[in-house]
Amino acid sequence: MKVLKKNDRRLKRSSVGKMIRNLFGVLAVLFIIWRLYLVFIVQNNYGPETWTRLLIAGLVIGSVYALIAIGYTLVYGILFMINFAHGEVMMLGSFAGFFVFEATNAINITAADGSVTSLTNAQPVLSIILAFLVGMTFSAMVGFFLEKIAYRPLRKAPRLIPLISAIGASFALQNAALLLFSPQTRNYTNPEFLARGAGWRIMINETAVILPYTGVLTMVLSILLMVGLLLMVKRTRLGKSMRAVAMDKDTAALMGIDVNQTISNTFIISGALAGAAGVMWGLHNGILHYFVGFLPGIKAFTAAVLGGIGNVPGAMLGGMVLGLLEAIGPAALDISFQLKDVIAFVIMIVILVFKPSGILGEVLSEEKV
Amino acid sequence: MKVKYFVVFLLVFVLALSACTPEAETPVEEPPAVEEPVAEEPADDPCAQDAWGCAVIQPGQTIKIGMSSPMTGPYADFGIDAQNSGLIGVADAGDVEGFAFELVAEDDEGGAEGGAAVANKLVADQTFVALAGPLFSGATAAAMPIYEAAGIPMMSPSATAGFLTQEGSQVFNRLPFVDPIQGAAAAEFMFNTLGVRNIAVLHDGEDYGRGLATIVRDEFTELGGTVTAFEGITPGEADYTPILSTIATQSPEVVYFGGYNQEGAVITNQMKAVGLEDAVFFGCDGTWGADYLSQTGDNAEGSIHANTRAPEESETKAAFDEAYLAAYGVGPVVLSPFSYNSYDAVTILTNAVKAVAFLGEDGNLYIPRGALVAEVRGTTGYVGIGSYSCDAIGECNTEGPAFETVVNGEWVVLD
Repeated sequence: MKVLKKNDRRLKRSSVGKMIRNLFGVLAVLFIIWRLYLVFIVQNNYGPETWTRLLIAGLVIGSVYALIAIGYTLVYGILFMINFAHGEVMMLGSFAGFFVFEATNAINITAADGSVTSLTNAQPVLSIILAFLVGMTFSAMVGFFLEKIAYRPLRKAPRLIPLISAIGASFALQNAALLLFSPQTRNYTNPEFLARGAGWRIMINETAVILPYTGVLTMVLSILLMVGLLLMVKRTRLGKSMRAVAMDKDTAALMGIDVNQTISNTFIISGALAGAAGVMWGLHNGILHYFVGFLPGIKAFTAAVLGGIGNVPGAMLGGMVLGLLEAIGPAALDISFQLKDVIAFVIMIVILVFKPSGILGEVLSEEKV
Repeated sequence: MKVKYFVVFLLVFVLALSACTPEAETPVEEPPAVEEPVAEEPADDPCAQDAWGCAVIQPGQTIKIGMSSPMTGPYADFGIDAQNSGLIGVADAGDVEGFAFELVAEDDEGGAEGGAAVANKLVADQTFVALAGPLFSGATAAAMPIYEAAGIPMMSPSATAGFLTQEGSQVFNRLPFVDPIQGAAAAEFMFNTLGVRNIAVLHDGEDYGRGLATIVRDEFTELGGTVTAFEGITPGEADYTPILSTIATQSPEVVYFGGYNQEGAVITNQMKAVGLEDAVFFGCDGTWGADYLSQTGDNAEGSIHANTRAPEESETKAAFDEAYLAAYGVGPVVLSPFSYNSYDAVTILTNAVKAVAFLGEDGNLYIPRGALVAEVRGTTGYVGIGSYSCDAIGECNTEGPAFETVVNGEWVVLD
């Protein structure tokens, strides 16, 4: 009897909590609809060319977020920890790519007709591929050693401990970059045909909207990498062992899977993706300093949660959604751009109210957690 | 095994640390062989009369000049530049009665919490007598009461928020021109000299940028111009195209930005891509600098920025430039615009210390704190790299800014 009563009360309380949550969600949705109505029907300040520009900005930053978010989600899927140093892995990859371009710029090539160009411009495709390779390799190495040094010794520790270690690793990497590369802001020197700001001009409403080459490169490349990753996880032996370890480490070990190696591989893959994101970041935004990984890191983590952490397509979707929300949200709701993060996060909360496990997230079994 | 590794690791760490620590110029005190006639002791002990008492520097100790600036984080350039310049200032200052100066540069991350923490740390040291800083207004506001209580004269090379000198502080002084003067001058310059009537105003939401932008908006509206947009951005990001796209719909003639060069450079670059090709980027003294040029390249052409009126070429300046370049591999005023101000701030403080310090009969150096505070506030006709005279509330620079534009990658003074 007593037990029943207790259950009853708990049931009641949780339903009140749920009601409040839902009420908040509904109010937020109503507010958003009201603002959208004001902006699109009443004021109609912005023409299609402005919306297109916002859309382009959102898609580009979204695809960078998506690539970084995959790193969070892969590591979470396997170790159930948030690798807060992931943004710094991206920053280091960005620096590696930067130094490749510095090197190719320093090498001058004399063409047959006697004109002198730097290697970057003489062999642009080669130097871009080289930058991506070096950036990805370096970040993969950083990821690999990060796991070895900061997380592996704490594998058996309570869950909070590696989290603190991750935050510490983040500070350590940031300050290592500060000491190694100095605090100065650096600029990517892009090959000429990929200059920042250059792009296809699309005429909308008699206004030229520029679709930047670097933005298109970022989007296309990140989609390719994501598709490649999905195929790898689904089709290859390595992907299979990753999924097995994510499901149950002990059983996977009994089946002859090298758990440590698989975890290392996961860090290598997520590091490589972050490195690619870093080089893209550099090519598209051009600006690089030791602090550059912090914001994208936090945003990508948010994106991973939004999409359902532990779920790879979810991280991609979350990244895109967050990028678009940030770019379009303030204009669409007619709220100051200073509050763009607030808008993005409120919408994220609304989504999580109705779908607590994220857009594509599955409910984790008790045992797994 | 584990313990062994740990010991090895510790050893390496200690070695690395000791390798990093710069060789401190150990001020080896020669015992004064000749009995120096102590500058005739006033009838009354100045230390007893002084409101804050005396700092007593014992033989072997140094006279510490503090510095409070961001040395990590996104604005680390500013702090590291100030430290670089300050070290040269301290080296040039020589010694007082055989007591050397030492610069203690602490990292306040530019914020209020850091400013107060650094202040508490510094005032705990008896031999700390004066502060060249803080660099940022937010840190200054938080730290001022702490230095005031301890009787530490402050000379900020760069904190420009208007209210700082309006609160009756005895100890706070500064070298830069202040934001209200700059803001009014910028609005006037845009309206009258450039003849524009529509501007958009952006700021980075910080004390400095937002304050400046607000002043520009109000002054420009007062003059009769139209401010089409007044928006804040999130500092530290690399993509501001969304906000610039929405501003472009109003086609302003000038985009004014109150903030620092990192964001200013990003905005300048991205203006071309979103339909603001014809608008002029109008920055402030926070956006001025070689960093801005290197990050914007051709996009910088025609943009306008405020800057401290360039110091006249002088022997002091040439010597400083040379020392800076030799010591750090880059020229001054590359990392931040405040290299010269930082040097002058340190020099004004060390000069004041020299003026008030006296050697006691016990061989200790006595620095009456109250007299030092008054001496710094009373600075008149100082000529270092710049020339300064402080007024009754501690403003040592009454000149307005100079406006500079970029032509072929070089700063050119307008006017």
